[in-house]
Amino acid sequence: MNSERIEFDAVVVGAGLAGAAAAMVMARGGLNVALVERGQKPGGKNYFGGAIYTHAIAELVPDFMDRRPPFERPVTEAGFWFLARDGLTRMTVQGGELNADPADAYITLRANFDAWWAQQAQEAGALLIPKTTVVDFLRKQTGEVVGVVTDRPQGEIHAPVVIICEGVNNLLAQKLGLIDHDLEPATLALAFKQVISLPMETINARFGLQDEHHGLAASVLGDVSLGLPGMGFVYTNKGSISIGLGMMLDQLAEYRLRPYDILQRYLDHPAIAPLVQGGQLLEYGGHLIPEGGYHAMPKLYTDGAMIAGDAAAMVNALHWEGTNMAIIAGKLAAETALEAHSRGDFTARVMSRYEDRLGEGFILKDLKQYRGFSRFLETHPQFMDVYPNFLNDSLGQFFSAYGKPKKELFNGMLGALTNRRSLIRAAGDIVSMARSVMGW
Amino acid sequence: MFHALVAIKQVPDTTNIRIDPDTGNLVREGVPAIMNPYDAHALAAAVEWKRKLNGRVTVISMGPPSFTTTLREAIELGADRAILLSDRKFAGADTLATSYVLAEVIRAVHSDDPVDLIFFGKQAIDGDTAQVGPGVAVRLDFPIVTYAVNVRAIDLNEATIVVERKTERWTEVVETPLPALVTCEKEIAAIPFAPLPDLIKSLRYDPEIWTLAGPVEFAADEIGVRGSPTIVYQMGTPPLPEAGEKINTREAGVSATLDLVFKKAEDAGVLDAMLGGAQ
Ligand SMILES: Cc1cc2nc3c(=O)[nH]c(=O)nc-3n(C[C@H](O)[C@H](O)[C@H](O)COP(=O)(O)OP(=O)(O)OC[C@H]3O[C@@H](n4cnc5c(N)ncnc54)[C@H](O)[C@@H]3O)c2cc1C
Repeated sequence: MNSERIEFDAVVVGAGLAGAAAAMVMARGGLNVALVERGQKPGGKNYFGGAIYTHAIAELVPDFMDRRPPFERPVTEAGFWFLARDGLTRMTVQGGELNADPADAYITLRANFDAWWAQQAQEAGALLIPKTTVVDFLRKQTGEVVGVVTDRPQGEIHAPVVIICEGVNNLLAQKLGLIDHDLEPATLALAFKQVISLPMETINARFGLQDEHHGLAASVLGDVSLGLPGMGFVYTNKGSISIGLGMMLDQLAEYRLRPYDILQRYLDHPAIAPLVQGGQLLEYGGHLIPEGGYHAMPKLYTDGAMIAGDAAAMVNALHWEGTNMAIIAGKLAAETALEAHSRGDFTARVMSRYEDRLGEGFILKDLKQYRGFSRFLETHPQFMDVYPNFLNDSLGQFFSAYGKPKKELFNGMLGALTNRRSLIRAAGDIVSMARSVMGW
Repeated sequence: MFHALVAIKQVPDTTNIRIDPDTGNLVREGVPAIMNPYDAHALAAAVEWKRKLNGRVTVISMGPPSFTTTLREAIELGADRAILLSDRKFAGADTLATSYVLAEVIRAVHSDDPVDLIFFGKQAIDGDTAQVGPGVAVRLDFPIVTYAVNVRAIDLNEATIVVERKTERWTEVVETPLPALVTCEKEIAAIPFAPLPDLIKSLRYDPEIWTLAGPVEFAADEIGVRGSPTIVYQMGTPPLPEAGEKINTREAGVSATLDLVFKKAEDAGVLDAMLGGAQ
């Protein structure tokens, strides 16, 4: 049989957001790039909320709006929904910044978006190799990575630099020793969601959206996660709703909770059910999110290799920001690969420039700043229980005419909170929330 | 050197297909397109023999430009050359017009680079006619073996093959001179996980597109709608068969049940056929 040696200037593992970004930048820099994806098509198996942030896309494809990206709707309304046991308080913002054109974020579905995103890399000259899984690395005797091994017969690809963008399940990072342990449930959220189809007009009416060029992205706190740390989300697509929630994996295991039971309970909530009523279930799925933050990050490079995106735990859990970090990290890794090629040096010395580049931008800064957040909700369960209910009850009372002196009413409202949690401790919660977000 | 030719068709994945209850038409929207499974197995067999005999495989197909996806997949699975017959005027062809076009193309390929063996799937899963392969064989005047499950031997010196074919009762072993045409069952060969070099080759490969403009000449009244005398009168979903009668053998007893079954068969006039089939 023919045993031709397959050679490229660079290999990227995984055609997700990070991988296609890396391939695009290297191909534009003149490298011969193989973008290896295990799925039938890019995005076929990928899953998120979600919304994609345009700042990251524009950095790589400035004229992206002319290239017909498969967006569902722009995010023109964003914020929190606080779900009480029997009610809902919405705190969302619209207009102002959110009316920018192009918008700051667009709601999309990954199967469509990833295919388009990888297409941009292909148009730049990268070769997308689908249906192929990278299972190991080619290494010199001295350890430097010089290519990958795939699951196909005669499946070795030689290249002096490999960028690993394999997503949250970082088997290859483990294989390479960039991280010395398997995935830890305590640093992972399991997110699960349904895509429910509804007529466009029904969505507009139910969510108060002017037309299909307006969309809502809401994070839902409160009676979604059974008092455990977790957050729900609702996104309006054109003709469907993406709705789901994420909870920490270790707690799902500890309390023996079944994701579909929790999701069903959320969908049956009296304030949520009318929003999805009569819809048809299109998709149901789950995906892990690496929420360990800064502390959970692997080593980011070694001789001949770098790692980017979810594989390197680059996610800001509070803001559902992962796609933009993945894209920018992919780009910075690619720039480092280009530098390595121009110097003809692929050792860790040059690869370390990747970490420098990450340090200069928002990624490492944000990840450091938010490093406490993943544990914050765990030590402050009142955010899932006391506060949403208090908000709902007190606002409800405020806007009711009881025929009683208002002073009595306000005392009653305060009482409703202090019954549940003392004022001092409530003030303390707000400070420590701010702390974990501001990174104090 | 051994030269195999495989005719393939791209079809909607009928495991995912729905019928519009109002119009009776297939709903093709959103249904993924795949290589007709029987053709994929036929191609796998051709490639196995190519590797054994150090030969080459040409694939041909007739259809819209979107068929290039499937022809690339054929390269991935080990074909060396792919030709797509694509022209608006070919559209609307029934099995008669299709077999005409394919036969003319094969004639052209054959005169440049003689073909030893032609592989077809036994039928396409969207039309299920099983007519195109035989139609081509007749037009080319090649011997044909249908429902092949195994190509046992190919002898290029003697120009013969030995093929096993499946019938309802038994397996026939047929020897026939080359060049010949076989239509294949799935058992003919397993579809391999393609080696990486073949996959990469397929990603960079552009099938040859042949049109009415050339290189083959076609008679205008034998192609497309004009060359297709078949008229679809009506399409619909067959009614589900009614649930059969259930007999609890424990309560009724085995011999009473058998008597009943034989009696019902007799009443329905199928007893002889039933007994004949059991021999
Ligand atoms: C429910 C949910 C909601 C989210 N919502 C948002 C949101 O609204 N906004 C936001 O910005 N982020 C959101 N995120 C996070 C975001 O989706 C991720 O951070 C982002 O997808 C990471 O991109 P990536 O390229 O690193 O990894 P992925 O997108 O996971 O891509 C990895 C790719 O590598 C491939 N692959 C893996 N291993 C191999 C291998 N060995 N060989 C070949 N290919 C391989 C996979 O098939 C996949 O295509 C959400 C995540 C979830 C789960």
